[in-house]
Amino acid sequence: MFLTRSEYDRGVNTFSPEGRLFQVEYAIEAIKLGSTTVGIRTPTGVVLGVEKRVQSPLLESSSIEKIMEIDTHLGCAMSGLTADARTMIDHARVTSQNHAFTFDEKIKVESVTQAVCDLALRFGESMENEDAMMSRPFGVALLIAGIDELGPQLYHTDPSGTFVKYEAKAIGSGSEAAQAELQDKYHKSMEIKDAQILTLRVLKQVMEEKLDQHNVQLAQVTVERGFEILSDAQLKEAIDAM
Amino acid sequence: MNTFVSRFAPSSSVIPNSRGILADEEEEFSDLTWGSHAGFGNLGTKGIPTFEVPHLADPSAFLRMHTDDYADPNCRIKIQHGTTTLAFRFKGGIIVAVDSRATAGSYIASGTVKKVIEINPYLLGTMAGGAADCQYWETYLGIQCRLHELRNRERISVAAASKYLSNLVYSYKGMGLSMGTMICGWDKTGPALFYVDSDGTRLKGDIFSVGSGSTYAYGVLDQGYHWDLTDGEAQELGRRSIYAAGHRDAYSGNTINLYHVKEEGWDFIGNYDVTKMHYDGPGNVLGATGGGYGYEIRAAGRSASDADAIDTSA
Repeated sequence: MFLTRSEYDRGVNTFSPEGRLFQVEYAIEAIKLGSTTVGIRTPTGVVLGVEKRVQSPLLESSSIEKIMEIDTHLGCAMSGLTADARTMIDHARVTSQNHAFTFDEKIKVESVTQAVCDLALRFGESMENEDAMMSRPFGVALLIAGIDELGPQLYHTDPSGTFVKYEAKAIGSGSEAAQAELQDKYHKSMEIKDAQILTLRVLKQVMEEKLDQHNVQLAQVTVERGFEILSDAQLKEAIDAM
Repeated sequence: MNTFVSRFAPSSSVIPNSRGILADEEEEFSDLTWGSHAGFGNLGTKGIPTFEVPHLADPSAFLRMHTDDYADPNCRIKIQHGTTTLAFRFKGGIIVAVDSRATAGSYIASGTVKKVIEINPYLLGTMAGGAADCQYWETYLGIQCRLHELRNRERISVAAASKYLSNLVYSYKGMGLSMGTMICGWDKTGPALFYVDSDGTRLKGDIFSVGSGSTYAYGVLDQGYHWDLTDGEAQELGRRSIYAAGHRDAYSGNTINLYHVKEEGWDFIGNYDVTKMHYDGPGNVLGATGGGYGYEIRAAGRSASDADAIDTSA
């Protein structure tokens, strides 16, 4: 792919003769530079876990925000250029609220994922007086977790606007090893506690630093409590249980 | 305001959408094409929703002509005006009490209207004026409050929420919106109460009553109010005030809905039949002093409705 690179790298919306969009592919590459993020679905809820890279001892690890709430029944974890995710998550939040306003019901996990993906390909040279165009693809992948009438679900979205449903998924720098580990250890009838521990184990395996409550974050969406980011105490308990 | 006026300027026969892009066939890439609103066209991702207004030179004059708002009481579209709502602040929080009658002219359209709008678990709004206007815009306010919470990881203050609403209705000034509402909640500053109406007025205060029966409600409220009311006394005062309005004002009545806003959010206290309040009172509830609010007080001894008493005194 690097042979033909110069020519078809110019326009973000230009296909190469082999039928590829390089900028979109590079954006997908950008995710592999991001920290590892894991999501696991169980019959009672979905667990999300992220690695927080604390580059300096002076850095406040609590200010790293890689898991965000979309609505009471929806959460989202990210990997890649996390700043790009802010646009997408705000869009997801607005869409979710508008859905509730219009239909007086909670939005489905698939619908909110679809709405986020609709944004993903709105880049390129803007048409005349089109104001809301972006100059490049998003450099971030999301794991969207939620519960609706179809039960707990986990979706993965990437910069091409593709979204796929997963039982368990890892993204980011350690994703290959993590995904292999998930494939090995995942089973359909996991308890939420087991899922927390598996998430931590998988993260531990791919992280360079020693895993503790400062460099990981866990969140879950459960039938009873909806979306919640685990508190320090809950996180510590899960780490100890591992 | 100027942008708003120009948006609905009479010269243009095509109504622009929220981004000022003409919603016309020639506009190839509208928001809907991209599906980013998942098909919900009139709610922009930011700012206020826009509406299709009548394709006329002056939509607000049209609306004025066809509603009973100002001109013709016999016209077809009636807007709900008769109401009694009240809210007051005291040491234990805020009491919100409303009646439940909806009228269209002299016709009682409903006796079971929910005039307290539960914006979210710690914000309440009341409904007076156009029922649809209040319901729609206060629910819309609820969305914005929730988004504020998600974006800032902090609950919106009552002052900010009410300001949002007042700015919103001000942008529709003169176009026929009709609402008189009280936004009540508990935030970092404690219990807070704001009056907002469709003229754009926004007032902070301790006691408000809105609607055709408000003068009756104020009468009872003012004589019984002080800051150090207990929860029970305050709830009873709210109940009695709405009862008084329901009793005397033809456009208010049926039942009373009572809410109490506390630090941990609002509580629905109960629904009380106005007629039952007159004869029997609220029964054994917090703050009740026993007996009916109206009948026994009047009938005791010398009332014309107490025939036995008159006979003996004659």
